[in-house]
Amino acid sequence: MEIASIINIGLGLILAPLLQGVINKTKASFAGRTGPPLMQAYFDIIKQLKKSAVYSKTTSWIFKAGPVVSLAAVLLALAIVPMGGQAAPLAFPGDLLLLAYILGLMRFFTVIAALDTGSSFEGMGASREVLYSALAEPALLIGLGAIARETKTISLSQIMPRAHFFSPEIVLVVAALLIVFLCENARIPFDDPNTHLELTMIHEVMVLDHSGPDFAFILYSSSLKLWVLGLLIIGIIFPSPAGSFWLLYSMISVFGLLLLAVVVGIIESTMARLRLARIPQLIIAAGSLSAFAFILVMR
Amino acid sequence: MDSTIEIIMILLVLSDMALLGLSRLRACISIVSFQGMLMGLLVLIAHSSSMTPRLIIIAAVSFMIKGFVFPYLLRRGIREAGTQHESEPFVGYIMSIISGVVMLGISLWLGEKLPLLAALSGSSLVIPAALTTLFTGLFLIVARRNALNQCLGYIILENGIYTVGVVSVVEIPFLVELGIMLDVFVAVFVMGIAIYNINREFDHLDSDRLNNLKG
Amino acid sequence: MNHEMTLGLLILIPAFAGFACLLMPSLRTALGLMCAGVFGTAIIGLFAITSVLFEHHILYAAGQWLFMDALSAYNYFVMLLIFCLSSIYSCVYFRAEMEHHNLTINQIRLFTCLWCEALTAMTIVLLSNNLGIMWVGIEATTLITAFLICVHVSRESLEAMWKYILICSVGVAFAFMGTLLAAASAKGVAFGNHNALLWTTLRTNAAALNPTLIKAAFIFLLVGYGTKAGLAPMHTWLPDAHSQAPAPVSAIFSGFMLNAALYCVMRYVPIVETATGNSSWGLNLIAGFGIISIMTAAVFILFQTDLKRLLAYHSIEHLGIIALGLGLGGLGTFAALFHTLNHSLCKTLSFFAAGRLGQAIGGSHDMEKMNGSMRISPVWGIGIFCSILALIGIAPFALFISEFQLLKAAIDKGATVSLVLFLLGAGIVFIGALGHAIPLAWGRPHSTAPVSRASFVEFILVFAPLSILLLLGIWMPQPLQSALNASADVIRNTVSASASLQGGLP
Repeated sequence: MEIASIINIGLGLILAPLLQGVINKTKASFAGRTGPPLMQAYFDIIKQLKKSAVYSKTTSWIFKAGPVVSLAAVLLALAIVPMGGQAAPLAFPGDLLLLAYILGLMRFFTVIAALDTGSSFEGMGASREVLYSALAEPALLIGLGAIARETKTISLSQIMPRAHFFSPEIVLVVAALLIVFLCENARIPFDDPNTHLELTMIHEVMVLDHSGPDFAFILYSSSLKLWVLGLLIIGIIFPSPAGSFWLLYSMISVFGLLLLAVVVGIIESTMARLRLARIPQLIIAAGSLSAFAFILVMR
Repeated sequence: MDSTIEIIMILLVLSDMALLGLSRLRACISIVSFQGMLMGLLVLIAHSSSMTPRLIIIAAVSFMIKGFVFPYLLRRGIREAGTQHESEPFVGYIMSIISGVVMLGISLWLGEKLPLLAALSGSSLVIPAALTTLFTGLFLIVARRNALNQCLGYIILENGIYTVGVVSVVEIPFLVELGIMLDVFVAVFVMGIAIYNINREFDHLDSDRLNNLKG
Repeated sequence: MNHEMTLGLLILIPAFAGFACLLMPSLRTALGLMCAGVFGTAIIGLFAITSVLFEHHILYAAGQWLFMDALSAYNYFVMLLIFCLSSIYSCVYFRAEMEHHNLTINQIRLFTCLWCEALTAMTIVLLSNNLGIMWVGIEATTLITAFLICVHVSRESLEAMWKYILICSVGVAFAFMGTLLAAASAKGVAFGNHNALLWTTLRTNAAALNPTLIKAAFIFLLVGYGTKAGLAPMHTWLPDAHSQAPAPVSAIFSGFMLNAALYCVMRYVPIVETATGNSSWGLNLIAGFGIISIMTAAVFILFQTDLKRLLAYHSIEHLGIIALGLGLGGLGTFAALFHTLNHSLCKTLSFFAAGRLGQAIGGSHDMEKMNGSMRISPVWGIGIFCSILALIGIAPFALFISEFQLLKAAIDKGATVSLVLFLLGAGIVFIGALGHAIPLAWGRPHSTAPVSRASFVEFILVFAPLSILLLLGIWMPQPLQSALNASADVIRNTVSASASLQGGLP
């Protein structure tokens, strides 16, 4: 049984960058292009690992610590979120709070590393990131709280097998989580990962100054974040009973994640980025969905 | 049956939230149309065990009027007035959504205060959802400047009351029900005419600037 | 003539007359048909009213959906009186408008049609036994009269119309919610399924209704119909609508439409009182709204510059007084009903005068410009001055008597706070309105308009209401007193009332 959860983590470590590739392929096929190869994210990471890092003279150890802490945090998160009905290795009651705050820690270090460069662009990106995540966090926490209340446990590993997707509350939470998912991973309609206009970027602008292995860490940890948050949604949509057939259910989860990546690709192809002023409105809407779900389950 | 009603109620509340958060009038009208169709369905589903021709007629009439005729009238209003957006609402959209959640909370509290009504309606969600819709309508009338938006708020408010009526009081005679429907219909129609005249006379629909009469 | 036909005719005659008015070729014929419709209704109505008030019948029609008991008969009488006077006046008023050529035949057709339909709608309110239909009637009055405000399309009248439709529609929607809750409160009470909205059914079974729901219902009803009745703080549409509407329309607004809304509240009072175990819960609420209205109006009256707005605020004050009387119960109910008649008569007269004086100085209602109205038009000058005196409660007029009765009711009941606040409000109104009235009557005229001569009809229009008010102030005729008592008994929570109701069932 321990083997199962370790294999699950291994799947995450190996397959996470693939999601980026699927999203980009979907977008490319919508636009009628061939697009970058599926494995492009792997190539990028390997390429960056081979290079050496360049550090500005004005930066301090914080700048170097940023990518490392981010990667460490997201790895920890990977060990908390269950997959395929199998309890996560680090599961304990109340781990959903830890998940939210590990992601917070990751963001915190990305932000202060960006601030450490002293560049005004990165400062601007950092301030936007903090604003949006401050709004997105209640949506995530209240949503998870609603599910916890519905399933009467406070450990993600026990919530996931028990959630019944076809109750209205859960549908609301999934909708809210999807919005949070797009926001946290800096996807359209919140942020355009492809843009290179610093004025409009949020996430990408914060990592402009990183290079070499540091940048590889950042790319890898953002892939893993996509994977982890994706698992959260997939775990609710395809709840898988604990115990036997774990490999089958793990495969279903992986398939679900790839599907999610396609959905994200479709969303990105059909929607435009929102104006900055409208973004908080959408996140607040997600928060109100979560709150509505929470009120419904408290009833 | 109960869960179907619950789903309709949830959709009702979600459409309220959407109305609070949207600024494009056309999108708002589509939501009102959607809500109107929900009202028609609600009649059928709430009384699916005792279906009579009377109920079917009422359902069909409200489905048509609320789902299609009102949106048509409102869209015409937009076309004639040439306004697309609510310019500057008194209460911002983010605050509106948050107020929506607060109104939902208050409605739940009120719903608990009236247990008999909840018992009549079969689901504990009906009265809160109806009250939320009512409050949303009232909120739109107060918090938006555009006269069309206020008209929309009136329709929403009516929907909320209608929900209470459909679910908790079955015995209202047919004639009364049709009379009420007719009255609401004429009210929206009259508001439409008023909006048309206001637009012609003032060249705007900003009800905050209708302030010649004071004291 | 049997009752079925009588009550039916009362609704159908004005309805048909209204539609026929749309087809009339000229202004004169349209106005003539309108008057014929109104007076025809009045004659038939008088038969029904005497049969109810003096022979103590309760008339039912259309399977108990329509009925006329003492309360509706009395209110119907007041309404007919107001409509007859206003119809004659509107002939005078619009003839003058026509001379100034600011009226087209289409406008007059629309006006006469809506006028008759407004009468129909208000009749439906008064005669319906079904509380749902009563609501439909009130909403219909709102919609029909909305266009009456806008007979002359101008920026101000459109603004007034918009506020009127929006505020009243929303308010009346609340009343609908209240009606539904009242019907829901009867759930589980053993009576036939289809009677849940009949007033007579609810009244006889009032003790069995669910108290929580009926309380919730009454709050909605009071706020809803209170909006239409112009009770503060829901009164904001009222001054605008009254000041922008043509004078005859302002007259029926103030003289009867507000009362019709308050009549709906009156209908619910005995039901609520019985259901809540005679705890005076509902009565206190009404009295509270009444006092707020009196105080609000008193403050605004001090600072008015427009005559019709001043009169509109007087309406708010007097509706507040009626509500206060209703809320005090006992003798207060009697006083409130008596005050309804007095206020309606007096207020129609004052709007008549305001309208004619406004025409005489060229279409404005600014009190500055109307100064010295006694010299501009002696007849209407006397009319406006005396009616303002009556409105503020000067002694020989009937309004003084009804307000005095109300004071007595308050003292009897020991309601000191209401008493003090009422006296304070009335005092402020007295000073404020007198301050406006004296220059209005004897000030130096601004305009050089020639003294306008009043015709004989106008003379009658001024002095008939004034002499009735004077007469009622000095001597209360026995029939009126018994009629008032009978209708007050319907509202008061007396055992005899519900017993007589059952006795009257066919």
